[in-house]
Amino acid sequence: MTAIHLPDPSVVASLERLARTELSLAARMAHVVLALVASAMTIVVASLWLTEPSLPVRTMTAFGLLTIIGLGWVAYSIWVLSARRVMLARQRVVAGRLAVAFAGTFTAGCVLFAFTTGAPSAWPATAMSLVLLAAALALWRRATAAYSALLSRRDALERELTGGAR
Amino acid sequence: MPHPQNLDPSAPGRAADELLVVRCQLGEPDAFDALIARWHRPLWLYLRRMTGRDEETHDLLQDVWLRVIRGIARLRDGSRLRGWLFGIARRALMDRLRREYAAPAASDIDPGDLAAEPESDDSEGDLAALDAALDTLPAVERDVLTLFYLRDLSLAELAEAMNVPVGTVKSRLFRARRLLRAAMQERSDA
Repeated sequence: MTAIHLPDPSVVASLERLARTELSLAARMAHVVLALVASAMTIVVASLWLTEPSLPVRTMTAFGLLTIIGLGWVAYSIWVLSARRVMLARQRVVAGRLAVAFAGTFTAGCVLFAFTTGAPSAWPATAMSLVLLAAALALWRRATAAYSALLSRRDALERELTGGAR
Repeated sequence: MPHPQNLDPSAPGRAADELLVVRCQLGEPDAFDALIARWHRPLWLYLRRMTGRDEETHDLLQDVWLRVIRGIARLRDGSRLRGWLFGIARRALMDRLRREYAAPAASDIDPGDLAAEPESDDSEGDLAALDAALDTLPAVERDVLTLFYLRDLSLAELAEAMNVPVGTVKSRLFRARRLLRAAMQERSDA
């Protein structure tokens, strides 16, 4: 009879190593930070680009290119977080907090800059930073709700499996 | 009272599967180890049956778990874990086969040809003959029979794993059983 080929014990160890590497929190947070920093830089550069009409053509071109590059980095980090380093519920909550803290600080900086200098570029930057902050708050709220729902489901299943529900 | 996080990996049932999925989706550190402990063996046995080689099975298993880790956050109903897992394993296998071979369609293969391969030992009983005949079937037929009879997937789970309607699963099973019967008949005649 054909032999039954069972997996070698080292297979499990290699799969557990694979899981730990794939689930690294540091790699995820690095991409979250990349997305936030790239967003902030893009907002600053785009604001200058839009509000400084008297700049030389090559400077305008450079600002345009920098804006495109910044958007590219934002798109890349979002792609990594949605396809390669997909975040789990707890990691989403941490990322949400990080995004709110970063966007809040950046928005406060923009508002302060706008009121103290009155520079034309400060107002569009403030407006865009408020959009960034709103998006961060929405993501954080959604992550928290999803995390709570999963916790409730886990507790219900644990009660069901241990017979403690009744 | 045993804590559910320490449940035996072989604990039966959809609720145990769903609990594991929810814990993975939450991001609990040891949940993936528990998921691997519970499911690596059935997946290995399925892939080993389909590939026939340990090394290739190991590579495929790594690919499957990579897809599982990346996709489990999107699994909405954790109680359907079994069909989902075998679906991923099957897709990984088919991707590998597609890359490696420009294989003729299974329907082009004559059942008579399948059973014409030499059999080394006829004296080991019906089970050995069945096992050997199964190994001679084309990938699609071996796949459906392995999942249904050896891995005990239901028709609904098979439909999910293969991403086809239940009716198609039934017709594939029908055809696979017919091919297997022909292969076994040829072997016993030889």
